[in-house]
Amino acid sequence: MSSSLRMASGLLGQATRTLLAAESRQSTRILPLRNTRSQCRAYAQAQRPRIQSAQGMLSRKSFSVTASCARAKTMGQLKQRNSTGPFSWKAATLFVLTGAGMMIYFRVEKARLERKRIAEMSKGVGKPKVGGPFTLKDLDGKEFTAEDLKGKYSFVYFGFTHCPDICPDELDKMAEIIDKVKEATQDDKVFLPVFITCDPARDTPEVLRAYLKEFHPGIVGLTGTYEQVKNVCRQYRVYFSTPRDVKPGEDYLVDHSIYFYLMDPDNDFVECIGRQDTPESASKVILEHINDWKREGKPLKVE
Amino acid sequence: MGWLPWSSGESNKASDGGRIAPDRGSRKRCWDGRDLFFACLDRNDILDAIKDDKEARRKCAKEVEEFEAACSSTWVKYFKEKRVMEYNRDQTIARIKKEDAATVQELKSQGWNSK
Repeated sequence: MSSSLRMASGLLGQATRTLLAAESRQSTRILPLRNTRSQCRAYAQAQRPRIQSAQGMLSRKSFSVTASCARAKTMGQLKQRNSTGPFSWKAATLFVLTGAGMMIYFRVEKARLERKRIAEMSKGVGKPKVGGPFTLKDLDGKEFTAEDLKGKYSFVYFGFTHCPDICPDELDKMAEIIDKVKEATQDDKVFLPVFITCDPARDTPEVLRAYLKEFHPGIVGLTGTYEQVKNVCRQYRVYFSTPRDVKPGEDYLVDHSIYFYLMDPDNDFVECIGRQDTPESASKVILEHINDWKREGKPLKVE
Repeated sequence: MGWLPWSSGESNKASDGGRIAPDRGSRKRCWDGRDLFFACLDRNDILDAIKDDKEARRKCAKEVEEFEAACSSTWVKYFKEKRVMEYNRDQTIARIKKEDAATVQELKSQGWNSK
């Protein structure tokens, strides 16, 4: 597939080169032709006052002079014009430009449709496969539901503050992604990064606030009761292993999935961003989806 | 070790009942301690610091003490287990690569062409 494309573009490149060479040759041939025509016109204009003062017979003669000017003066010029046939440098340029334009257009369009297919595929029929209704509370203790994610691209991550090494790494990455997306969109309302704790017993609003502040002030921290957190993990298909009854002061680790979930403004799952993604590749994917959404004229929340 | 924010006790309690997590600074101290300890294990050809606990403590006494002082006990256990897991993973990947290369060699010697 790619090799045939490369071959086609190689051929096109060759064709362009030949055409360009022909073009420069043609233009040198056409130039003198043009000059004669403008000289003719100057001659006709100079003649006009004299023609007007003379009789009508002369004016008919002057008409015939102009007419012969438009036609080729010599057989050589006639031959030259015929030899180029219906092709001219204008037609050739137009041909090449249209071809190149079409190729670029089809490539861009193909990439866009591929992304759209991914986004549509994840939507599923009826109930989304990843994500769904939940009720949690934000760091001010206010209720936060799945409805609050709508109208924006949300970027959901599950973790816990006592996480040894993976969560801090991923949250540093998240911070970079937030800045990159914000810089590119020039809009901090279109993208909503969310951190949901899997460890509500230890991660209270106060703990979460202090923890997230170290990474990025824009991350929305969410917590809730054990049951609420268990439910949201189930909705997002996140493996949940938090022990239910922990003794105060007991130390433990929580297994959890380490993916970022990109959700569109309808709160449907779009794509996963994983450990293998760099901040660059992740923000590129996110921005492509945001731009597709905007290009299709779909609604975004602007409050 | 009551002054450490993650050591058990009331010192790491948040006012709303949560448990304060290690911050960036203490995470870095823990990771540095881990790296020094693991470098020592590498020098002494010890892979599993849980199974060969006695030997590890004898040969890397200073490092293990600093590592365990800088990290919570669950983190210490996690990192020790992770070291073994990552070693096994890398060995498996290397083995599969070697097997793949051998298979390709064998097929090529039989006149098979990848193109």
